[in-house]
Amino acid sequence: MADVLRAESLSKRFGTHTALNSLNLGVASGEIVCMLGANGAGKTTTINLFLGFLEPSDGKALIDGTNVQSDTTAARKLLGYVPEQVALYPSLTGLENLEYFMRLSGAPNISEPHLRSLLDKVGLDQAAATKPVQDYSKGMRQKVGLAIALGKNAKALLLDEPLSGLDPKAANEFCALLRVLANEGKAVLMATHDLFRAREISDKIVIMKSGNMVASLESAALDNASLEKIYLQHMHDPDTLLEAAS
Amino acid sequence: MISYIIKKEAMEVSRDGRTRLLAIVMLLLGLTGLLAGWANYADQQRNALFAQEDDQTVFLDQGERNPHSAAHFGRMAYKPASPLASFDPGAAPFMGQVIWLEAHQRNPAMFRPAADSLELGRLSNFSVAGILTVLLPLLVFLLGYSALAGEREHGTLRQTLTAGTSTGKLFAAKYIVIASTGIALAAVTIIASAVMALFSPVALSATDTLVRALGLTAFYAVYVLALTGFALLVSALCKQSRTALLVLLGIWAVAVMVLPRVGASVAAQTFPIPDGAQVWSELRADIASNRVAPDSAEYKAAEQFVVSRALGRDVSLAELATMDLNASGLRLEVTEVLDYAVLNNFYADIYDRYAGQRDVRRWFALLSPAIALQHASSAFAGTDFVAHQHFSDVAEVQRNNIVRVMNEDLLLNGAGATTYLAGENFWEEVPEFTYQFPPVSLAWRSAAFDILLLLLWGAIATALAWTVTRNRLTV
Repeated sequence: MADVLRAESLSKRFGTHTALNSLNLGVASGEIVCMLGANGAGKTTTINLFLGFLEPSDGKALIDGTNVQSDTTAARKLLGYVPEQVALYPSLTGLENLEYFMRLSGAPNISEPHLRSLLDKVGLDQAAATKPVQDYSKGMRQKVGLAIALGKNAKALLLDEPLSGLDPKAANEFCALLRVLANEGKAVLMATHDLFRAREISDKIVIMKSGNMVASLESAALDNASLEKIYLQHMHDPDTLLEAAS
Repeated sequence: MISYIIKKEAMEVSRDGRTRLLAIVMLLLGLTGLLAGWANYADQQRNALFAQEDDQTVFLDQGERNPHSAAHFGRMAYKPASPLASFDPGAAPFMGQVIWLEAHQRNPAMFRPAADSLELGRLSNFSVAGILTVLLPLLVFLLGYSALAGEREHGTLRQTLTAGTSTGKLFAAKYIVIASTGIALAAVTIIASAVMALFSPVALSATDTLVRALGLTAFYAVYVLALTGFALLVSALCKQSRTALLVLLGIWAVAVMVLPRVGASVAAQTFPIPDGAQVWSELRADIASNRVAPDSAEYKAAEQFVVSRALGRDVSLAELATMDLNASGLRLEVTEVLDYAVLNNFYADIYDRYAGQRDVRRWFALLSPAIALQHASSAFAGTDFVAHQHFSDVAEVQRNNIVRVMNEDLLLNGAGATTYLAGENFWEEVPEFTYQFPPVSLAWRSAAFDILLLLLWGAIATALAWTVTRNRLTV
């Protein structure tokens, strides 16, 4: 199956510092790929390159065949993006935020029943939908962010640490929803620090270090312990490795 | 797509309590200022009308009297307040309201409200134009400081751009909403001022009022556009909205509060206007130096001109020598004719100094659009020094007419009489003083350069804001 998200020799340098070094990565429709790695490994740089907020130094980022650099606006219309902190307009309600971002993306159906059904799908309480988002918890904001991505009918979802700060129940709900979306055909690329959650929901895990992709693993072939061991081996932290082995 | 962004921006603005409060305060201040100004200037207009009628009655009822004595008794020319003075009093409170029209002298206007007010009283005379000039920047800066910096700071810029819109559309929508809010507020007060002006005791024509109101709305709109450009420029440049707010408040303090005062002070130092005592001593000196000997050719030519004009036919010098005329009347009118040019040149020089002051302030307008707006606004309200000069010149023509009628009566009818008295009905021959406000074309001419400056401010601030936003606004 053709990759919806595709990085071809994608590189990004800031002066002499290489933030991403010749990344080759594909995410197919219906597939969830999780990027693991320490801070500064290149995960967010990869996402920013796919979003068109950074220009690649070499290589290219493609979304459903559209080169992000040459046609950024068109490429962005194919993407849903959920950052660590979903940024919404605080004086607007969840419903109004959803409507606004869907209108910007040119979504065809912006009727209130459809908007409410989207919020329902991501598990946002109907009563909360008409409250200003300044009163929302982080989990509620993440849900609206996901609803925005859903409403765009995006072909691919980019998620940058979306589980950070969520309570376990909210994180579980979020992951379950991601799986549903992938099953509906979305290509999902998620950057996360949560190894075990990544293993649970992903089809593939890539480990990044210092701008390089150092491992690409099939999630089905891993258990939590083996994933942690591999991850720590790549991180080259002998003490932690010793502790994990014991 | 831009309409959705505009709708969202408008929704945010309407839900922002600080903006609502400032807009309401501005509107209340503006309308209070307008009502207070209207009551004050309508009263002034009524007083001027009443005083002018009273002056006419007193003049007509003076009975038998020597015409030259009546010319010294004089008439008063009362300047009616411009109907739009309640919106922008401009220089009117500093220019005087009444001119005494008497023989031999072209007097400056008396009774300057600003000079007659106590310092604290002046503070309470806030005008709608003053409120708009000072508070519109605050409103626009409050709406705009976080427009781009805040979006970047809170991450909504990234979210918005990811949704598939462009920086250009985002900029345009924010520009439209911020500018529209400021323009709407200015337009409401200007329209209210124009409607009230139509109901003033001395009103302009509806067409004239409409053209002036449209002009004022356009100038305040361009001012708001320049301010909006500034707000977005600073917001795009600053990483944090708090920094942007501080920078904009600094700009406001310097451009709106400090520079207009510094500009006025430097202008007054560069082109000082003589005070009353100086006026009299300089005028006397000028007149004395201009006097010609009664046997000079210039004096004889003036005599020939005066008598020919009085009789309505050409009189030769030879015939003049044989005519039976009142010598005192002839001498008085000849002196008037010879002094006209001196008096007019003297006042032209004073008004040139006012123009010089305006030119100095225009240099400061290169640093502050508020100064260019003040000039254009007072010109279209009919309250700048050019409008006052128009009144002063019309009053001087009236003075010339009065003195001429008096002197010619003495000249032609007082021959041989030791004490000539004009009849009690003679005074009706003196035309009544009526003043028509200058046409709006005078305001266009007076403020053309300031309008150009305002337009430049609007265009440059907007272009800079857009260029910086396009090139430097990053997530």
